[in-house]
Order: sequence, then structure tokens, then C-alpha cells
Amino acid sequence: MRWSVSGSSTRVQSFVRNAGTFPPLTTTPPPTPPVYSMLTTLFNINNKATEKDDDDLSDSEDSQFSGLEDSGSDSEDEESDVEEKSSDDVEEDDGSNDDQDKQRQQTKVKNNKNKKGATEGKQEKKGDEYEHDTSDEEDIRNTVGNIPMEWYKDFPHIGYDLDGKKIFKPIRNKDELDEFLDKMENPDYWRTVHDKQTGRDIVLSDEQVDLVNRLQRGQFGDINFNEYQPTVEFFSSDVMIHPVTNRPADKRSFIPSLIEKEKVSKLVHAIKMGWIKPRRVQADSKERYYDLWANEDSSILAKHRMHLPAPKLRLPGHEESYNPPPEYLFTEEEKALWEQQDPEDRKLPFIPKKFSSLRQVPAYSRFIHEKFERCLDLYLCPRQRKMRVNVNPEDLIPKLPKPKDLQPFPTTQSLVYRGHSGLVRSVSVSPSGQWLASGSDDGSVRFWEVCSSRCMKIVQVGGAVKSVAWNPNPALCLLAVAVDSTVLILSPSLGDKLVISSSERLLAGSQEENPSEGPQPVVWSETEGEELKEGIHLKIQHPKAVHQVTWHAKGDYLASVMPDHSSHLQVFIHQLSRRRSQNPFRKNKGLVQCVAFHPIRPFFFVATQRYVRIYNLVKQEMAKKLQANSKWISNIAVHPGGDHVICGSYDCKLSWFDLDLSTKPYKVLRHHKKAVRSVAFHKGYPLFASASDDGTVIVCHGTVYNDLLQNPLIVPVKVLRGHVITHDLGVLDVTFHPTQPWIFSSGADATIRLFT
Amino acid sequence: MKLDYLHSSHFLITTKFESSLTASHSKVEFDFLVRGQFLRMPLSAHMDTEAISTEDVVEIEYVEKITAPEPEECMMHDDWISSIDADSEWILTGSYDKTARIWSVDGKAVMTVAGHLDVVKDATWVKRDGLTSLLLTASLDQTVLLWEWNSERNKVKARHCCRGHTGSVDTVSTDPTGSKFCSGSWDKMLKIWSAGKKRIKKSRMPQTDQGRNRRPSSSTPLMTLSGHNEAVSSVLWSDAEEVCSASWDHTIRVWDVEAGAMKTTLTGSKVFNCISYSPLCRRLASGSTDRHIRLWDPRTKDGALVLLSLTSHTGWVTAVKWAPTHEHQLVSGSLDNLVKLWDTRSCKAPLYDLAAHEDKVFCVDWTESGLMLSGGADNKLYSYKYSPCRTDAGA
Repeated sequence: MRWSVSGSSTRVQSFVRNAGTFPPLTTTPPPTPPVYSMLTTLFNINNKATEKDDDDLSDSEDSQFSGLEDSGSDSEDEESDVEEKSSDDVEEDDGSNDDQDKQRQQTKVKNNKNKKGATEGKQEKKGDEYEHDTSDEEDIRNTVGNIPMEWYKDFPHIGYDLDGKKIFKPIRNKDELDEFLDKMENPDYWRTVHDKQTGRDIVLSDEQVDLVNRLQRGQFGDINFNEYQPTVEFFSSDVMIHPVTNRPADKRSFIPSLIEKEKVSKLVHAIKMGWIKPRRVQADSKERYYDLWANEDSSILAKHRMHLPAPKLRLPGHEESYNPPPEYLFTEEEKALWEQQDPEDRKLPFIPKKFSSLRQVPAYSRFIHEKFERCLDLYLCPRQRKMRVNVNPEDLIPKLPKPKDLQPFPTTQSLVYRGHSGLVRSVSVSPSGQWLASGSDDGSVRFWEVCSSRCMKIVQVGGAVKSVAWNPNPALCLLAVAVDSTVLILSPSLGDKLVISSSERLLAGSQEENPSEGPQPVVWSETEGEELKEGIHLKIQHPKAVHQVTWHAKGDYLASVMPDHSSHLQVFIHQLSRRRSQNPFRKNKGLVQCVAFHPIRPFFFVATQRYVRIYNLVKQEMAKKLQANSKWISNIAVHPGGDHVICGSYDCKLSWFDLDLSTKPYKVLRHHKKAVRSVAFHKGYPLFASASDDGTVIVCHGTVYNDLLQNPLIVPVKVLRGHVITHDLGVLDVTFHPTQPWIFSSGADATIRLFT
Repeated sequence: MKLDYLHSSHFLITTKFESSLTASHSKVEFDFLVRGQFLRMPLSAHMDTEAISTEDVVEIEYVEKITAPEPEECMMHDDWISSIDADSEWILTGSYDKTARIWSVDGKAVMTVAGHLDVVKDATWVKRDGLTSLLLTASLDQTVLLWEWNSERNKVKARHCCRGHTGSVDTVSTDPTGSKFCSGSWDKMLKIWSAGKKRIKKSRMPQTDQGRNRRPSSSTPLMTLSGHNEAVSSVLWSDAEEVCSASWDHTIRVWDVEAGAMKTTLTGSKVFNCISYSPLCRRLASGSTDRHIRLWDPRTKDGALVLLSLTSHTGWVTAVKWAPTHEHQLVSGSLDNLVKLWDTRSCKAPLYDLAAHEDKVFCVDWTESGLMLSGGADNKLYSYKYSPCRTDAGA
């Protein structure tokens, strides 16, 4: 077998390394040939697989490298080897362990045959023939060579030695029993090996046993062989001066890869189309900063919010100094004053004193007192927080319609009726609205044409006229006038002739039979002569000064008021057609200020200083008592519907009573700055007015609803000015025109004004 | 020539206008009209207020300026003057002293017509036949008296006493032919009476003629028109068979006298004191208690449409009267003592304020002969000369 180690391939290297293991068996001459042969047999016996592997290995390598070198003859060798092996295998399968020698010999024979063939075929290669010859490895003690030893089975010898003499078989006298005994008794039996070639038993030495053990363990036979020699690193991270391969870098390593570009563009497209969602960067849910006091107990905060700082004390001034400037020291008068004053009134709680130096300031004499007072303050003055109501004042004002939407109402002064020389206490308009009557302190009653302010008639009544009242019956034309203690019934002779004549007939033609039931407090008398010519038809003499006259809506009854503290004779009701008078009240319930008839029902309103009493004239009992909540009622007026009363008072108030609602005012208007003298309702329009000593007339809108649940709508709409305040008196009377939204007011400036 | 307020804008003065300047009229004042409105301020400001676009072509008309009425006469009465009716020769006034007076146009007292028992609220001429004139006086004593006055003999004779009203008769008006008249009263009624002669019964005249108060024959109304809810304040004939009445019930009603029925109602918001009708422009002018003079079209069916409102007075408007010859002019008297001359083309402000009176003005009137009259509570009847112009010069 020839090994040609050429080139530098790894394969060769590894083989070289392997060669280090096996060649000792082959290349190096064995120390003792019998031992070696015995060894081989031992291998054959004990480890067939090993032997086979070895053969295989050698054969395969042989074939491999021989193929590389030269083909022809070696291939033949190879074939023969294969054949030999196959036959070996067959024989091994068939034969027993003892056949090993014979087997070897057979192969040797075959090899020889091959050698013969080779010598025959190729003469020129004979020189090299013994290079492969393994015959030198033969056991030189027996020259038969490598033949199956059973060939010598039947002979007494087993071969021939170098001298050609027969080597005789040792005398085999050992039977099975001896063998067994030997096995049991001979301590070296386990290391005794039978050498078939010589037929002797050989006892292996310790070195040989050790070698066998090592080989059996798969270790190297040579103890001194270092199987872990350091390796030479051919391929390392270090750049060597000589490259392993000297190829230039590929072009693809430095141009962009089209495939990768395609892949990336596909991904980009997918991201754009939303097929792939790029991984979202997770916003850290926990914020970095947070309110440390967010979960603070709110009660603590509330306590802090309600914290009331103590009132700031004034800083000490010069007067507190021990050495104040002289102007801060008290003079004698100041000192006297200070001593006179109550402690609460004093400007300073102490007297400033002057000391030349701080050392001379005495101890504070009131120290204990002051401490005590402070403690008392702390104890007795609990501080309280008053919650300020944060309400827009505009929101508190009830929503009222605008005055503009409540028209018509009087807005401007249109006419002034001039002519009186004294303050005009009372005005009254005829039911048709054509005439106006006014009574004045100058002792006259004047009749005016409303539309032109023409004074049509003047009647001198000889006394200050306190009150005039036009008969509300349109079929009559009469005026009641209160002068001093008399009530005059005037016929103004204005308007329809028929009406005038009928009213005059009423006054003249009433029966004279006046049953005198003792001394009547009221005396009716007819006038004559000059007075009759002036239109005064009847005189009703009262015991005291009459302040007010008012007619019942039908025009037959007339009420007159004589305020008196002491008497029950304060109110009289006169019946014109029968010329009777009666006093409806037996008791004095207070100073009667004003009376009024209910426009529809038989009720009679009597205003005393503080109350308005409503009497049922039919049942003769009091129906209601209204509390005006004012100190002194001046005037009342009854709504034409009869369910509402307004009441003016001298303490500047105007009270509206809803009789169905309560006996207390539904609304109190305090628009006037001075005493309210007169109040009036309009007969048709939802208007009422109040006249005051401050010279103004205030017109209010007062809608009354039929629905009992809806309260009246009261809106002040206009302040009418015009009257001049004379002797602290402004407007004394006010009355509405019966059909137009006009108002007449009479004042202390001797004028009557018409506002339209 | 007032052109100073026109300098700011560009417009051409026509040659006609130039020629009229240089013609015989040596000193003529003009007023300028832009779209039917008098120019009372610079043209640009006027166009701003009237919302006329500056892009438009604006035609500016000019008319001869109405000259200020010149006070002519002052006729003193004994009492307040309640009414005036003037024609070309005579002036008839009613007074609160229960009489009516006849004055000549140059201010001479000619006649005092006494007979009423109470204030004469209205007086009017009925017609004139030569020297004989018929006149009416309405009084607070609920009667209307028809008088016959001969101007030559200067004798007045009561022909009728028209009784029937149950309130003061505040207004009376004769129809255009002078054969009928209508009276309005405080009793809310309108009554139509005949002014004819046939009912005169001379035989009864001496019997009732006792002392001062001679009683003329009574006559009864031809027709009573009821419908007003309040006193009738003013009545007039707007056509041969049509009567307009103004009332305190805030309405003006138009009545068909022939049928005796109401035709139209014009509803205002305030009491009407007076109305006047102009056949030239066919408009009703009303004066009411709220200071405004309103113009109405009596033929409109829907009623409450005010065409124009003239506001300058500060008191009740007690008298209005259209100019007899001019379709745009009217005069008004008010409780604020002023008489104002208006042109409906300048509704913002009157043309002239005539502040002659010292007290309330109750009545105004025009004559075709160029006289304006006003009377009031200061017992004075003023007459003013104005320049009557029938047509607008440049229009």
C-alpha cells in the first residue's frame, strides 16, 4: 500500500493524523512477532467489528488514493481486495473462531496468486511488487506463511522453521478436565493465549495485557502519544498576511439588492394600505407628573376655605409711643372730653402720655383687665361667616312687560285748567267725559270743558271746597260738593237739556213730608234765590265738617265723611230721592278717612287710619277688614270690577288689595317720595294712578284677570310731572277720564292738569 | 337764489332754469325737490337719509319757494274763537261768547250773529246768492242755527233751529251744493239736515220772537247716522253724498248719505280732533291728541293705513285744513299755540311756524284769495297773506 501525501487538503491532514494511530501496528515492526500475530488473532477473536473496520478503513483509503494516483493496476487490486473481503465475510459467517488461521492463509494464497498474475501481466512493474508485500510481517518461527492452519491438522507438525525442519505440534495432553483445572488453578490462565501457528500457549506479560486493555478501551496503544496536541488555527478572526483565498469581492456585495428592494417596497406598500400595522410605540400610561394633593381630604380644604382671619389690628401710631410728639398729647379740653365720654365713644382707649425715657414707663396698670377682656372677646364673640348671596340683582326683578307694550296710558301733559286762586282739593269728571268739576279752597266750584280747558261755570259756595263728586248716573247731571259742614247738591246745567231738567226735577220735586223723628243730626234744606240761580239746589247740613262725599254707582245714594275721633257720627249715607240720611255705624272704629261704595254689590268700604273695613250694607255686618300696613290711610279707590282696592297712605305707600286673596296687601308700591294724597282707578282701561305731595302722579298698569289663580299684573308705567309744589303740597286729587286714557290731577298750585 | 347746499353735488342747471333766472323775475326763491321730497339739507346728506343710491340718476325738480305768510290783520274777539270759516269776501267766526261774527277779509267787524244760548262751537257758510248768504252755527246748546244774512242791509235772520242732538253740537258742515248740511255732536250722532228754504214758516217767526232770544222755526233732521262710540269731533263732506266724521272713539268713518250707511272706518289710536279733506289730492288729514297730523286715503278699504304722518306740534292738534288751491299744502293749529304751514313733500318739518298766538289755537282756515286765518283762546283772529299758486312752477 502506497500513500502519497501530496497537496494541502484537509482530508490529507486528517488522514495524516489518523495515520498516527494505526501505522504503529503496521509500519513499526512489532517487538515480538508471535505476540503481534497473537494480537491480531486476539482481535479477530474478540473484536470482529474492529478488525472489519480496520480492514474497511484501509481498503477504502487505499482505493480512494490509489484512484487518484493511477488507475489501471490498482483498480484490479481493489477488485481483488473486495473479492477477498467478501469471501472472508462468507467464511467468517460460516466458520468458527478457530478457522481464523486457515482464513488468513487463504488470503495469503490469494494474494500470492494475484502477485503471480501481476508479474505475469506486467513485467516492468516487478520491482515495486514487494513494496506492498506483507510477507515480512509473517511469523518467522513458522514459515508456512499465512495459510489456514487446519491444513496441518492431520499432520504431526504444523510447519517448518527457518532451517526447514518440521515444527512439531506440542504434545496435546490436556483434555477438557485439564483445561478446567488449569482454568481454576492457574493464576495466569486469563493471560494465556493459544498460538495457533506454533501451537503453544503463551502467557502475556503485563505490558501486553495493558496494551490490550488500552486498545479495548479505544485508546492509543502508545502511552506517550498526546492526543490533545495544540491545533494550528488556520481560520481565525485575525487577518493574516496571506489570505486564505485571494478572490476579489463580489459585485453583489456592493450593489443594492433588487430582491431586498422588492421585499421592502412590498412591506412599505402593505403599511401604506394598512394591511400591516407598524408596531405602536406604547405611550406610557402612567404619567410622569401627577397631582400629589388630588386625593386630599376635602373636609380639610373646606375648613381652610372657611378660615376666618382675625381682624387686622391697626398698627400702633404716634399716640401709642412713650414719647409722642406734642401734638398727639391731649390738651386739657381733650382730656376733659375723653373723661366725659363713654368708653365706647372714645376715639382712643387711653390717654397718650409722654415719658422722657423708656425706663420711666410704668407697668401697664390695666394688664389684667385687658387680658380678661380679650379672653371675654374670644369667648363671647363667635365669628361667623355670612355667605354673600351671589345673585345678579337684575335677576331678582320680576319680569314685567315694558311700559311701551301697555299703552295706552297718559304720558304727556296736554291741557292746564287755570282759573282757581286757591289749592284745588278735588276734581271730578262728568260721566260723559265732557265736563270737569273742581273744588278749590278759594270757595268756588268750577266747571270746565275737558277738551278745551274752558271754564264754563263758576259757582261760589262760600267756603273751602273739600270734595266734589259728580253723580255717576248719566241720566242725572248733579254734583255733590262738600263745603265746611254742608254737602251741596249742584246742578251744573251742562250737557243735555233733558238730563238737566230731569235732575232738577228730582231735586225740586221730592216730597216734603219729612217725618221728624226727634232732632236729626243731618238737615236737608232747599235753597232759594241767588244760590238756586247758581245751581245749588240742596244743602245737607252736617254736624261737623265734611271731608269727603262720594256717590253710589246708581247715583241715588251719597256718602259723606266727617272725621271725628270721639263720635260714632262719622259717616252718613244720604238717599237723594227720599232725602233721607242715616248713620250706618253705631260705634267709633277709628278716625274715618275715606269711604267708597262697591261699584256692583252692596258693599261699603270705610278706611280708617290703619284699616279698611268692608261692610255688607244689606246684612249690616262687616265682611272684611283689610290691614293696610301703613300708618295713616289717605285715600282708597275701588276697582270697577269690585274685587280690588287700592289704598294710598300718608307714609308714601300705595297698597293693592286683592279681596279674594288676602286681607293683607297683595302689593305695596313705594314710588312716591311724599305722602300719597289720592288714588284712582280707570273705569275702562287697566290703569290706576296715585297722586302725591311730591308733585307727581304715578300711573300704573294694573291688569286684573278673570282667572282667580292669576294675580293682577301691576306695572308702573309713567311718572307725570307738572304740578308745582306749593306750601309743601303737591297733587291733591287725581281722577281718570271715564272713556279716554286720560288723567286729571289737581294741585296745590291752583291748577288742574290733563295728561293724555 | 339759494344754491349753496347744492354746490357739493354735480348737476346741470337747465337752460330753462337759467333763463328763468335772468327773466323778468328779479328775485325768486326756489325750492328743490328730489323724488318728491324737499331738499332741506345738503344733497348728499339728503340722499343718505332717503337711502338714494349715488349711482342713480337723481332728478331734481325745482319749484318756486312758498313765501312766508305775512301777518295781515288781527281781529279781536270778546272771547275764545272756536271756529273760522272764510270765503273770498267774508270771514265767519264762532266764539265762546255764544255769538258768531262776520268779518270782512280786511279785518272789519261786519256783523255779530247772536242767538245761541251757549258757546258757538262751529260756524260755516252754506252758500251765497248775491248779497244773501246762508250760514250755520252749531252750539253747545245742542242746536244748529241756520242764518240768512244780507250783506247789503247787514241784517241776519235765523231761518232754522235744528234741534235733535242731545249733546253739544261740535261740528257742522255743508255739502258742496249747499242744500244739505251735516252736524256732529257730543251725543255720538251725525245728523243730516236740509238747508232748503221750503220749511221756513215766517208766520211763526214773530210769535217766537220774544226779547233777545228770537226763536226760529225748528227743523228735524233728514237722517241720523249713528255708529260712533264717542263724541263726534269733526265732520265734513268729502263728496256730494259722502260724509266723513272724526270722533273721540279713535275712528274716522266715511258715510254714504244717500244710503245712510257707513262705508269705511279708519281706525287710529288716539282721539281725533279734526279732519280736513282735499279734493285736489283726495287725502284726509287728521289732527289728533297725540301731536301728529296723519294723512289717510278715505277710499282705502282696509282702513287703518296712515299714508303720512306730520309731526312737529307739541300739543294736541286742534285744527287742520288743506290749502284750497294747492294739493300739497295744509295748515294746522295746535294747543301749543302754534300754527304750522306744511307741505306734504317735506313731512319732517313744516314749511313755516306761525307763532302769533299767545294761547291755544282752535281753528284755522284758508281762503282762495290768499288769506290764511287762525283763531284761538287768546281771543284773536289772525290773518296772514300767503302767495297762492295753483300749479307748481318747475314741476
